[in-house]
Amino acid sequence: MALTYTKMEGNSRGFYALTTTLAVFAFIGFICFMITYIEGHQVLGSSNAIPWGMPIIIAIYLIGLSAGLHILAFLIHILGRKEWKSVIRMAVFMAIILIFGAMVSIALDLGRPEKFWRLFMLFYMNNMGSMFAINAIFYSCYFASASIYLMALLANKEKLSKIMGMVAFCWAMATHGGTGAIFGLISTRATFFSGLKPFEFILAALTSSLALLVVVIVLIVKITGRQIKDDLVISLGRFVAAFLCGLILLIWIGNLTHGYMADREALTFLLAGPFSFLFWGFQVLLGEVIPLVILFHPKTGKTVNGVVAASILIVVGVFFERLNLIIPGLAYPQHYFPGEIEGIYGAVGSFPITPVEFFLSLGIFALLALIYILGLKNLELLPVGENVE
Amino acid sequence: MPRWGMVIDLDKCVGCQACTVACKAENNVPHGSPREQTERRDFFWNKVIAASSGKYPSVRTELIPMPCMHCDQAPCVTVCPAQATYRREDGIIVQDFRRCIGCKYCIVACPYGARNFNVKEQETTEYQRQDLLPDRKSWGPWPFPTRTHGVVEKCTFCFHRIDQGVKEGKKIGTDVVPACVEVCPSGARVFGDLDDAKSNVSRLLSSRASIRLREEMGTKPKVYYLPK
Amino acid sequence: MKSEDALSQKKTNGVKLNRRTFIKLSALTGAAIGASQVLGPSSTRSAVPVPPSASAPGEEKWIATSCINCPARCAIRVRAVDGKAVKIIGNPLSLVSEGKICPRAHVGLQVLYDQGRVNFPLKRTNPQKGKGADPRWQPLSWEEALQEIGNRLQAIRQKDEPHKLLLFSGLNTKSSEEVIDRFAKAYGTPNLVSGEGYEAETQKAGSWMADGHSGDVAYDLDSTNYIVAFGADILESSRPLARLLRKWGKMRREKPNRTKIVVINPRYSLTAAKSDRWVPINPGTDAALAMAFANVIITENLFDKAFVGHWTAGFDVYKKLALDEYSPEAVSKITGVAADDIREIAREFAGTKPAIAIGGKEAVDWTNGSYSAYAIHCLNALVGSIDIPGGVIYQEGVKFQEMPRIAEDETAKKGKKQPALDLRGTDKFPLAAVVTNQIPEALLTGAPYPVAMAIGFNSNFNMLAPGANRWDEALKKIPFYVHISPFISEMALNADILLPSTTYLEEWAYDFSPPGAGFAELKLKQPVVLPRGKTRPIPDLIFEMAKKTGGTVAGSFAGIGDNAEGFVKLRTASLLPWKEFVETGVWRGGDYEYRKYERLFRTPSKKFEFYSGNMKALSAAKKTTAEGDLSFLPHYKAEKFLGEAGTYPLVLLPYQPLMVMENGSQNYPWAQEIFLPMAGRGWNVFAEMNSETANKLNLKNGTPVWVESPYRKIKATVKFSEGIHPQVVAMASGQGHYSYGKWQTGIGVNPNEIIGVDYDSLDGQSVFFNTRVKVYKA
Repeated sequence: MALTYTKMEGNSRGFYALTTTLAVFAFIGFICFMITYIEGHQVLGSSNAIPWGMPIIIAIYLIGLSAGLHILAFLIHILGRKEWKSVIRMAVFMAIILIFGAMVSIALDLGRPEKFWRLFMLFYMNNMGSMFAINAIFYSCYFASASIYLMALLANKEKLSKIMGMVAFCWAMATHGGTGAIFGLISTRATFFSGLKPFEFILAALTSSLALLVVVIVLIVKITGRQIKDDLVISLGRFVAAFLCGLILLIWIGNLTHGYMADREALTFLLAGPFSFLFWGFQVLLGEVIPLVILFHPKTGKTVNGVVAASILIVVGVFFERLNLIIPGLAYPQHYFPGEIEGIYGAVGSFPITPVEFFLSLGIFALLALIYILGLKNLELLPVGENVE
Repeated sequence: MPRWGMVIDLDKCVGCQACTVACKAENNVPHGSPREQTERRDFFWNKVIAASSGKYPSVRTELIPMPCMHCDQAPCVTVCPAQATYRREDGIIVQDFRRCIGCKYCIVACPYGARNFNVKEQETTEYQRQDLLPDRKSWGPWPFPTRTHGVVEKCTFCFHRIDQGVKEGKKIGTDVVPACVEVCPSGARVFGDLDDAKSNVSRLLSSRASIRLREEMGTKPKVYYLPK
Repeated sequence: MKSEDALSQKKTNGVKLNRRTFIKLSALTGAAIGASQVLGPSSTRSAVPVPPSASAPGEEKWIATSCINCPARCAIRVRAVDGKAVKIIGNPLSLVSEGKICPRAHVGLQVLYDQGRVNFPLKRTNPQKGKGADPRWQPLSWEEALQEIGNRLQAIRQKDEPHKLLLFSGLNTKSSEEVIDRFAKAYGTPNLVSGEGYEAETQKAGSWMADGHSGDVAYDLDSTNYIVAFGADILESSRPLARLLRKWGKMRREKPNRTKIVVINPRYSLTAAKSDRWVPINPGTDAALAMAFANVIITENLFDKAFVGHWTAGFDVYKKLALDEYSPEAVSKITGVAADDIREIAREFAGTKPAIAIGGKEAVDWTNGSYSAYAIHCLNALVGSIDIPGGVIYQEGVKFQEMPRIAEDETAKKGKKQPALDLRGTDKFPLAAVVTNQIPEALLTGAPYPVAMAIGFNSNFNMLAPGANRWDEALKKIPFYVHISPFISEMALNADILLPSTTYLEEWAYDFSPPGAGFAELKLKQPVVLPRGKTRPIPDLIFEMAKKTGGTVAGSFAGIGDNAEGFVKLRTASLLPWKEFVETGVWRGGDYEYRKYERLFRTPSKKFEFYSGNMKALSAAKKTTAEGDLSFLPHYKAEKFLGEAGTYPLVLLPYQPLMVMENGSQNYPWAQEIFLPMAGRGWNVFAEMNSETANKLNLKNGTPVWVESPYRKIKATVKFSEGIHPQVVAMASGQGHYSYGKWQTGIGVNPNEIIGVDYDSLDGQSVFFNTRVKVYKA
């Protein structure tokens, strides 16, 4: 049977229960946003010491999750690997939702969200030297091209799909590289400053988005009672493993470089300070070592369950990788003057987890999941035929 | 075009923090609460930090007043997407609240911690300056009584005084100076045109060794310190 | 800007104002930059200009007045716009501080507009007094309040017991002080108690023993080239602070020779941080160090032979004492200062002219403090720094217009002959002008006689006193207590009637800095704004009370102005035209005359006395048991500490940071948030300990600890410091308020609460530094 696409039925009780729950959380998230808007950012965990909090972490996380998915376009159209065609529509739609979510996240973190449009006044009112402004170009073009790509796919236009796929892939790489550059070009923060950051982010994107795709595919297959060829998932698993290796390599080259610099206290704080459990426990152990073991083990690496388990861990682990970049990176006090700076100016910044911020973050994820599910129901994204039932 | 800078003589500075308080009075910078100070949400346009070194009895604590450095190569100006912070021709790094979207990129980029994010409306009565009339127009040239929340603010070298002084033909650096310079009891702070070889700042800088903070950052700050 | 409009409708009024703010801001930026508006490189792009809207500022005035957030009383200028004070800066016409003011003067705006101020008289309805009791204030009209007070004042006099009226005077303007003093004398009570007993009375006793001057010793500073500060917190709490801040800058870098400053103190104070050398010393041993300096200076022949030869007496006895008992090696064991260091500093001190030795609270507020102050003061004479430019000088007083004599009736005369409650001038405190901390004793025991009524003027001894809680108990014993201040302080919590007085920005008064710059300088206080609420200035209230008391008391208050403004006008009439004074705010006397040695010394020999003739004469009159000659000489006596060294191994050192507002309240966020600059923290008080000592006690930096004395214990956060003597725990005072005020209540702790009650043996100065404590995890 040739490959076609269909909508999800979406009329079971489970479906309605899920969508309602997600809608409720999304609404709670919106309430939290209104609270933040009216009360001010004091209800969040950010401060003058750590100005960027959960919304920004989520934003860069989502961009990563989004951008990496377009590697599939590269595989399909350039390398001619047709088996990925079955999941391409789901993936591209997910990518669009995720980049939309990222932009919403960024807008939520702004002190004055109603002025978000100022980010898009390119060349007219913007300082184009700022990485935020340059990223605005990337995000807009990426969003536009990905949307056109999806429309081309839905309309079954082969040639346009091929072209837009590659275009979207390029913009995706530029986007997440640009996100990396936001951090990598800030010389003030010792753990940020690195030419590797764009590439580190791109590899994190590739790793996490494919891992997320594995989880989503398996979830949907299980929930809607479909079948999918195991090979698909396991191949994805191999890609994830390969990209994960690349990511670990770049992270450690970056850390090593910062470690060789004379001013290495910020790095020491990350690796050995009071919050180093976030790095070693969540990022390295949970997000890197265990998944690698699972994926490379001859037994588990070849089972769907193994790949799914590893993917879940990677999805969580990469989130903590983003968190470890921002929070410990910003928390470490700056050395204004030689000597130990007394009091609050020399103290490590604190980032309390506040309920408003927690539910706001949850709300963003819920919203995106909700839109994705509604999209599955209303657009022809799910594959039928060939490798799937 | 003048290039305004400041020189702070650490030998004359007595660590009294009059500069901090006067700046708050002049620019209506809100004060914080005990909780806000612990959470690093209070802000100072001019802060005085203490840097200690040594062990008993050979201990040393330096008290360093730190306004915004108004860097010639300001990292905050580079990263601001909305051009809300920009360098004026006379060297002052200005903050335009109208354009600021509150993305806080500049706070991340500033090596001196000079910038503060304004978390809430100062309409909150407990922080409202009882000594200031609600009707702003009676406050004189500084049009900045109420704070808008959600934007970033910082020291402005009291540009409202300088602009008014320039308009009235007064001599900046002697007749007209920022509030912190005006009130310093020991006369440790001096303000003037760095490009004028005969100004007070230029003469001071030529008479003694001076340092700038975090010189290695390459920001070219325009606040110089004369060590003890 | 559509989205902004739409959202601004949803938000509160505050946002609407902000849109105008944006426009007005752009107006200013636009107007200012408009001239050079060029689309230049992106880094200098300017704001989009918006036409400025026409709006005229309100009526604006700069008014000359003076501050009183500490005893320095600096001249200030206040900008008032449309009846509101908006900015405070210094008055350049005042030469005492060359027109400069300290940060507390700026906080005056928050003092004026303090939300915790009282606007009308209050009456207590809860008979229970003391800490924790809610007074349950009820409002009262001024007529009722003053009538009740007047009745009671009359009643006491009718019983022929005017001495049973007790008056407390905290930080008041000099004009208020004079009116209070006049009232006390006319009424007939000897019991006018100021807070000076908590400051540095020993300084006065010390200099009195040497040169007969008490309280008017000043420092010339402009050309001083060397300063040795014994425990003097020159940049934090010495008087007059603003002058010291200005002169520090001048001495360091505004003259050819940079003044070298050495600070001797068990803690690395802010003054020590800014000085050239910090010498940690064992607490309470400054007298020994001063005598050791004398030893070195005399041994090595470095003293000023001309001055010592012509204008001093008793040098031989002094020399013998210094050489016999205060060799650097011997003193090194006592003080913990290396003998070589002693020699080095002494040689520098004597070899750099002019040099000054300044004593401060941490050195002289001890049981033997008068002699410590004496020893330090003698060093100045030894190097010839008396009444010379750059040396020790003597503050000239202001020659006010004479007031008519007080009318005294028999009741008043009899009353004033009664012994004062604080035992001043008795054998217990022979040199004392006031023994503030003795009053709780007197109140609690009812000896020598119980008190019928008390009036407190801006006093808050409940926070300042060692063993502060005694005041909470003692005030309960006063049958009727009237407290007068702008806010409800801890002392006011015990009042039966609270009368709200004006703050210094709302009243007429005059003030001078004690001490100042040598030459006489008088500063005017005039209202910058109308008094808030129904507050009234203290002199006005006293005039009322005097009138209501009637008789000779009322008579003494006739013809002297009838109110604060009138009084000030009358008293200053001899100095300068009133209009000029109101305009300038400052009157300055003639230039200071140096080297007035013929008429300067108020001693039997008419010279500076190393062997105190004044003290000897007093001892003979009082027949006090003396230690022989030693009690007429500067000397060191080992201090008696309160508490056993075994149980309480550390010594408590309370200190006053600059941002303590000395008016009795700390309800000012601008002062609170920058309270401890050396610790980089505000809103708090730490138990500052030497890190090694703290580690030995297994304490962790930044955690709560109990600081316990033999009397009480308080909880604070411990802070490890390298700048503290290993056996000392330093704590900042000024916090730990428990009265009203959201910015002060419950913040920090008050170390004075755990200090034991002890006095200098001669002048009743309260000792703050001899309480031993132990520190342990909380």
